[in-house]
Amino acid sequence: MSQTLQIALLGAILVYFVIVVVLLKKKRLQLKYTLLWLAMGVCFLVLALFPEVLFAIRDLLGFADAMNALFVLMIGFILILVMAATSIVSGQSERIKNLIQANALLEKRVRELEEKTEQSKES
Amino acid sequence: MKTLIIIPAYNEEASIEYVINKLISDCPDADYVVINDCSKDNTLEVLKRCRANYLNSPLNLGIGGGVQMGYKYALSNGYDIAIQIDGDGQHDTSFVKDVVNPIEAGEADIVIGSRFIEKQGFQSSGMRRFGIKFLSGLIRLCCGAKVSDVTSGFRAVNRRYIEIYAQEYPTDYPEPEAIVKAAVTGARIREIPVIMKERETGTSSITPFKSIYYMIKVSLAILLCRISNRRK
Repeated sequence: MSQTLQIALLGAILVYFVIVVVLLKKKRLQLKYTLLWLAMGVCFLVLALFPEVLFAIRDLLGFADAMNALFVLMIGFILILVMAATSIVSGQSERIKNLIQANALLEKRVRELEEKTEQSKES
Repeated sequence: MKTLIIIPAYNEEASIEYVINKLISDCPDADYVVINDCSKDNTLEVLKRCRANYLNSPLNLGIGGGVQMGYKYALSNGYDIAIQIDGDGQHDTSFVKDVVNPIEAGEADIVIGSRFIEKQGFQSSGMRRFGIKFLSGLIRLCCGAKVSDVTSGFRAVNRRYIEIYAQEYPTDYPEPEAIVKAAVTGARIREIPVIMKERETGTSSITPFKSIYYMIKVSLAILLCRISNRRK
């Protein structure tokens, strides 16, 4: 890996961390859902600081080029992140469904109570 | 026994009043609750006008979420038997006593009204019947439940299944999955013949365009339900 590339990668990772931390500070991201993003950043930081790790992965799995190994790693991480997001969405939709149902059941009770109090007022 | 009839309704302004009136005369001993699943037409106004007993969902949940809401209502109000019928007038409420009988006698946990046993009344189109046969075979293969009309929304369940369905009920196209859920939890499922009518008003929720998605999704859901629930 050339010196320039390494510096560019480190710069990109720095920007990445700044974005994540700023969003966390502004509470636009919840830490719970950001841990995976931070973990991914740490992994790429290690790879950019110590390219030997990447070369080792290349030799171990038989990639023609270290960059190819990097791309495969990145795609793998992105797939995991998207899967995690889908899992979160699924959980949320279940919770929203339960909330809507509870709301409708309560609305019925409120409506009936209102009718009852109105009737007793009239009589 | 305290009996509740659950009627999910989405855009059924033209038929819901007829369904309610027929139900009151056919089943005077049972209570009913209509679930207005955020209809875009005047279903809610009709329900208000005829002073019906109804639940009004603030957002559209789909048939599964709506029916589950009915089971939650049945659970919190202490009903022993819950019956599901569609809000479009397809199901003849004079058969309600037939679906309830095996449950009152303690012979079954779930009773499904099937249009294919005596093959009378509305039988649906050939393509749909083929799809239903396929799903029926898949359910039989996966969990041993013999049900011919797996998409029938005309069912009765006992207290145990009110509790189970209130806690967990499939979404999207729930009827076949609900049978699998019942079978893997050890339900005694009984099917009895009923006569269904072709819907008089409104449109079916399943368009030809959606039918392929429907078949794939339901088949996968049946398999998934089988592997994620141990038979008791």
